[in-house]
Amino acid sequence: MGSCPVDFRENLSVELPADLNYNGPSETPMKRFLVAALAVVASVSCGKAKPSLSVYTWSDYIKPGLIRRFEREQGCRVVMDTFESNEAMYAKLRAGATGYDLLTPSSYMVSLMHAQGLVRRLDRALLPNLVHIDPEYLEIAIDKTMDHSVPYMITNTGIAYLEGRVKDVVPSWRMFGRTDLRGRMTMFNDMRETIGAALKCLGHSINSTSEAELAEAETLLIEWKKNLAKFDNEQYKIGLASGEFLLVHAWSGDVFQVRRENPGVRFFIPEEGTIISCDDLVIPTDAREAALAHAFIDFLLDPAVAAENTAFIYYLCPNKDSYPLLPAEIRDNPGIFLEPGIRAKSEMIADIGAANALYIRVWDRLKASR
Amino acid sequence: MRRSRFPIVITVMVMAFLYLPIVILIANSFNPARFSSRWEGFSLTWYAKLFQSPEIWAAVKNTLIIAVSVTTVSVILGTAAAYALHRFGASRLQRIHYTLIYQPLVVPEILMGISLLMAFVAVGVPLGLFTIFLAHVTFCTSYVAMTVLGRLQDFDFSVIEAARDLGASTWQSTRKILIPMLMPGIVAGALLAFTLSVDDFVITFFVAGPGSTTLPLRIYSMIKYGAPPMINALSTLLLAVTLTAIILSQRLATRKSGT
Repeated sequence: MGSCPVDFRENLSVELPADLNYNGPSETPMKRFLVAALAVVASVSCGKAKPSLSVYTWSDYIKPGLIRRFEREQGCRVVMDTFESNEAMYAKLRAGATGYDLLTPSSYMVSLMHAQGLVRRLDRALLPNLVHIDPEYLEIAIDKTMDHSVPYMITNTGIAYLEGRVKDVVPSWRMFGRTDLRGRMTMFNDMRETIGAALKCLGHSINSTSEAELAEAETLLIEWKKNLAKFDNEQYKIGLASGEFLLVHAWSGDVFQVRRENPGVRFFIPEEGTIISCDDLVIPTDAREAALAHAFIDFLLDPAVAAENTAFIYYLCPNKDSYPLLPAEIRDNPGIFLEPGIRAKSEMIADIGAANALYIRVWDRLKASR
Repeated sequence: MRRSRFPIVITVMVMAFLYLPIVILIANSFNPARFSSRWEGFSLTWYAKLFQSPEIWAAVKNTLIIAVSVTTVSVILGTAAAYALHRFGASRLQRIHYTLIYQPLVVPEILMGISLLMAFVAVGVPLGLFTIFLAHVTFCTSYVAMTVLGRLQDFDFSVIEAARDLGASTWQSTRKILIPMLMPGIVAGALLAFTLSVDDFVITFFVAGPGSTTLPLRIYSMIKYGAPPMINALSTLLLAVTLTAIILSQRLATRKSGT
């Protein structure tokens, strides 16, 4: 590509003499500018006739056919925009970006946004399908009364490994202490997830604020770190699929996508319990199409729609009446539907306020340790 | 004396470093695997998926609309700015002007993104393609101005004076002497502006509004849940289009010079 400007220059220097013969004023640049400006203005202002719902979400997080169905039913347009991290989305909204009607941040981000008045209270009269939400999930949820958020998709943290390459698998977080797998394991590069795994392994709450418990977790993690290839949230999928890593800290939704490619991948939820994460549907305070946003939430909570969505993206919509409609492959999967015993020991990451500093200290020391 | 092999070795290594990633990208666009980099046979899966993804094409359209309009406007503004800077460079006002033009080249992108977003929110401009356009023009103009300024530095103004002596008006001398002679600089600036606009992520992320997701924004968000190999397919298509355009323009140029 480096030679590109040179080519253009050659081209132009040849064209120029012809250009010089051309008489009369030319307004090409001006005209071009006007056309371009018009194009910009037109694409901003068109489509105002139909109401349009702006959804700001993760990429490929809703089955595309469902969006088209909603557009037909409501006679509206759905505009999808995508973000790639909770923090980036939050930074943008905090700086004053407006125009979005529906967001799907993770639960911990929802509580932060709620505390700052960025999300509005939901109008329950517009959401008759709320009755389908799984009450068992709500017990561990952060916004238990669904005052300002509705759970959209949940995923469980667990351990994935390659069958046949890892011997004597015990369904426990202690697998990270296995020295025979040294250099072939990864854990998340996520402070709360990774410290949470160690806390769970020791039988503590993942939201513990006790300094003694955290110190215990730190010692265990420093021991585990000697066996790890790296801390990673994304590349582990590729490493697992290609056999570079044998055992990884993983999110269920990701693992089932990898399994389609490498059938040797196995997944378990450690018996000590785990972390359940959820992305919620929320309506920002300054949404313009709040009624339409409520209609969209209600549409996604319809059991048939929820089942279709779950089967498409491999995350679980906690909608109890959609469970019987799911394919057996998902319904009988203990990585998606946790066994009751394990479920009772599992928790969601809560906002722990000032105690966060304790976690940051542990995390920094862990990262610096050898 | 034997000729040294050193230059050829270096050339081959540099070529491999530059072009191997592109070759791997093209090869991978035909590999059906989503996660592993192992070759799993030739397939057009990603191309089929690409053509079934309206969001990607909407993003491509947004990106091109912005890039073309940004290039046009920033070339005009940048060239004018460069001319003013060169002609009246000694004046105090132009020194300030120079600092202003230079600023976007040194200010960190994230700072520019957040400050532009806050400015747009304060003035009440709705976020969308138009705000992305304004933001891109802001930094692209500087790049064009710098490139054209470089060209102006070794420009011989006596040519213009000669034209004026022979009776050309200001407009004529500008249009027929100055602009054609600056053209290489202008074209280089335009290409730079186009490229910068097409692949800017940080600033665009902040000033984008509903319905104005550009290709880089789309690609970054696909890393988490989507299918990035589709991007390999898209890049291969874009590469094919660019190469065809370059070859065609070269052909046309040689034909013209032949006659």
